[in-house]
Amino acid sequence: MNLELSDEQVALRDTVRRALAAGRLAGLGVLDVLVPGSSGGSGLGMVEAAIVSEEMGRALHPGPWLATAVAAVRAAAAAGAVFVPGDRAAAVALPWPGHDPGFAVDATGRVTGSQDHVIGAPAADVLLLPATRDGEVVLVAVAVEGVGAAAEPGLDATTALGTVSVDGADGEVLGRLPDGALDAVRDDVLVGWAADALGAARAVLGLAVEHAKVRHQFGQPIGAFQAVQHLLVDALETVELVAGGVLHAAWAADWGEPDERHLAALRLKAFAGRLATVGDSAIQVLGGIGYTWEHDAHRYLRRLLGWSVAFGSASTYQVELGRRAMMTPLSASEEG
Amino acid sequence: MIDFRLPPDVQAFRDQLRSWLAGNLTDEVRDAARRRGRDDDGALAVLRAWDRRLADAGWAAISWPVDYGGRGATALEQLVFTEETIAAGAPTPVNVIGINNIAPAIMEYGTEQQKRELLPRMVRADDIWCQGMSEPDAGSDLASLRTRAVRDGDDFVVTGQKTWTSNGHRADWCALFVRTDPDVPKHRGISCLVVDMRSPGIEARPLRTLTGDTEFAEVFFDAVRVPASALLGPLDGGWAVATSTLSHERAGAARLYAMIRLRLRDLVGDLRAAARLGLVDPDDPLLLARLGELDTRLAFLAVLCQRSISAPEGDASGAASLAKTVWGELEQDVAVLGHDVLGAHDPGGRWSVARLSTRSLTIAGGTTQVNKNVTAVRVLGLPRR
Repeated sequence: MNLELSDEQVALRDTVRRALAAGRLAGLGVLDVLVPGSSGGSGLGMVEAAIVSEEMGRALHPGPWLATAVAAVRAAAAAGAVFVPGDRAAAVALPWPGHDPGFAVDATGRVTGSQDHVIGAPAADVLLLPATRDGEVVLVAVAVEGVGAAAEPGLDATTALGTVSVDGADGEVLGRLPDGALDAVRDDVLVGWAADALGAARAVLGLAVEHAKVRHQFGQPIGAFQAVQHLLVDALETVELVAGGVLHAAWAADWGEPDERHLAALRLKAFAGRLATVGDSAIQVLGGIGYTWEHDAHRYLRRLLGWSVAFGSASTYQVELGRRAMMTPLSASEEG
Repeated sequence: MIDFRLPPDVQAFRDQLRSWLAGNLTDEVRDAARRRGRDDDGALAVLRAWDRRLADAGWAAISWPVDYGGRGATALEQLVFTEETIAAGAPTPVNVIGINNIAPAIMEYGTEQQKRELLPRMVRADDIWCQGMSEPDAGSDLASLRTRAVRDGDDFVVTGQKTWTSNGHRADWCALFVRTDPDVPKHRGISCLVVDMRSPGIEARPLRTLTGDTEFAEVFFDAVRVPASALLGPLDGGWAVATSTLSHERAGAARLYAMIRLRLRDLVGDLRAAARLGLVDPDDPLLLARLGELDTRLAFLAVLCQRSISAPEGDASGAASLAKTVWGELEQDVAVLGHDVLGAHDPGGRWSVARLSTRSLTIAGGTTQVNKNVTAVRVLGLPRR
């Protein structure tokens, strides 16, 4: 068991952090982090993807990284194909849990249908659409020209969501998606998105802690007041719990048994509402300055709120986890 | 590389332990484990016999070095041991505080004679140990303790009162923290004495807790003569003795999530049984959401604990102190849900008792509030008051 990042992973984190701070992300190859080495990618796993994603959240990066590097690359892989982003932005029209794919493809390869709340859709060059075809589900690539991908208004201006509407567009079928494959792709997106939100939460907590050290009232730094300290420690507790959950889920995405992997991703969503409270607490500690448009605090809170409603509410996932807990086989001493 | 799997040798350790437990842990012992901490001499006898059985088989105090009767277990082996014994329903040792907190100090500071005489009997529960720390006016602020020891010839003469002393009324020995120098700043005038609880002048009165049980005692010391050779560690160096206690046991944090795993499993079992009787709606979304939230917090807590145990450079992130706070609140919340849903159908049953007894978890061993103060300063770097 080793739960510490390796030197290479720390270096990856630092490189991405520096590139984001300098606005020089292009050319770094971070879109290809999950692309196999044999196809010219980095050949890394979800732990590394989560490391990059956390940095995106920390920097409030508005780019289509998650939609392209995680959703599109993993969806193509699930369909037995390889998608190498290079410098193309992509998006995958994933349905919410329990919903069928929003598209159908006919014998001539024409796709019709729609899907809302698609992350990265407004900026995508390529759309990957899960579509039904003769009772099976396939993944279809559609060039964005001639396809509607309307940006959706939302609280979080740094994460672009869109509604994809297609009416008889030509598509290229990349391959068949086996049973459960879409759920697994969505799980990977959940892990990446949670890591992004974790980065945002860490960053905004950091802003609040630094403010509490230097802002004086009643003759002392406000961070010396226990009421403020406990608010911040509670937020730290939430952040560190999620950090553990992200680490485990990212590892399980590559190495875990299917059940462990799925549960780990569901739990991240189940905690998404609580993670958003880190933004609330940070604004409380920042006080009046934190309530201004100029301050970044609300941008972080918006990022956290975007995650809290992605693919459904946290309570939906809590109910699902509760249902699974109730069905878990217990040992022979169950009635003891 | 991040890896949540255990290496093969630790997996083999787990298999070996699991099969030993399967062959040795009886329902009688499991039942005694559930009654631990109650007024129950029968259960105590079973628990002591179990500790001897563990010791004979080499499964007691595994974190101790081999020289003192342990097996020098690695942090991961300790983690596995804790997970497995708790999941199997095995009791924690009668002398758990002695083994984890007092023994490391005896190993570090004790004389050869103290080590040879005290440690083997401690691990086999031949002697019962208590730790004399809290006083009526020294709880979270332990360093303000006032029980004093005055040198008189070859003895110390001890006078004062301890309280919230686990097993104080049953103990043979006490690691007693006393003030030996009242004229220096409070942390610097404290010493630790190893006191024979049969000494004249000691009176231990069981303290009935809010559950009605007598797990703790108040212990009164009235001019108790303790030989100077009972000093553990340097004179006036007792604060270091008190804080040196976690040098061997690194996997204490594993107990936190392993216990809640067991409780949550019990809760699910009881909920299903109640659902079969038509007493609980197993599809109630509010019940399921609460259960799912507890399951999530537990899974995340486990990683937090495992991070603090497996960190090669020690616990720099303060994960262990956060884990203690999360654990106390989470186990309380499990009990609250159990009592909310099952309490009416099982008056006086385990969820009613747990609803009350878990209040201690955010108080004992340092309150959650003090713990948060410490985390604020040490981890977040916020200014002291």
